[in-house]
Amino acid sequence: MKHGALTILPLALGAAVYGFAFGLLAAQVGFPSWSVGLMSASVHAGSSQIVAVEQFATTGTVLGAVLAGAALNLRYVGMIASLSEVLVGLSWRWKILAIHVTGDENWALTMAERAKSPEVGAAFLLGSGFVMISVWTASTVAGAAIGAVLPDLERFGLGFAFTAAFIAMARGLWRGRSQALPWVLAAGATVATVSLGVPQAYGIVVGALVGLAACALMRRKKVAVA
Amino acid sequence: MSGQYWAVIGLLALAAFAIRVTGLIAGGRIRASRHAWVLDELPGLIVVSLVASSLAGQPPATWLAAGIAVGVAIGTNHVIATMALGMAAFAGLGWLGV
Repeated sequence: MKHGALTILPLALGAAVYGFAFGLLAAQVGFPSWSVGLMSASVHAGSSQIVAVEQFATTGTVLGAVLAGAALNLRYVGMIASLSEVLVGLSWRWKILAIHVTGDENWALTMAERAKSPEVGAAFLLGSGFVMISVWTASTVAGAAIGAVLPDLERFGLGFAFTAAFIAMARGLWRGRSQALPWVLAAGATVATVSLGVPQAYGIVVGALVGLAACALMRRKKVAVA
Repeated sequence: MSGQYWAVIGLLALAAFAIRVTGLIAGGRIRASRHAWVLDELPGLIVVSLVASSLAGQPPATWLAAGIAVGVAIGTNHVIATMALGMAAFAGLGWLGV
């Protein structure tokens, strides 16, 4: 467990900066620092939290914010599934704890270290996960505490900070040219829908569905060619 | 803090937990199904749609700042650098009256 806790430290420092920025933004849109900490400890998913907070601040709808945030977390189905061998031998209680403290960073590090030495397993995942969730929660609370005493940052482009964060997330999710057309169509459909006066939350759903339809058509065409 | 804030936190935590448990219990079967690609594609499409929705109806300066942020993201693949330089571009363009 100690091995994982120490190895993850450089990545935890990076997450702390992101966490601080998220906490600051969340406080500026009305979330008290303790609630930011509660969210970080109970959700433990940075991109999902930032999307939900932005959507709630923009649209004021709980369900839209939760669905948008949850959709970002769907990748965890595959990530957690890939841990099945790592979690073998743990009790259900420890398994639940392990999957809760699993985030992008410690999952990737555990898989990478395990590829190098097979003895890396659940203890490494848990040790690195405990450090990540602690650092993430503490940094978001610190950011929110600072954000709560700062003046309204909207005039300095606070709203654009979310847009820039989403752009960075998109870059992280980019896997190759095959995504280009679905992404362009999704963006175009969203802009067109919102420009017609439809609320943003619905525009996002329309964009995502148009993108999925494009992916489905591309996959069908690929299969037909093969 | 209103009940709506509590609802966002509680429901998001519940959804995150349910997704993780789904991965633990049925992840293997879901990954092997013919619809598994949806899990891979949806997060990127949602994020791109979020960017587009925040830019819809905004003035050209905001689109320009977004273009600069895209350039930084492509070049650095770093969240904080993209946020910092994107906001600097947004503020700078505003200051220049673009």
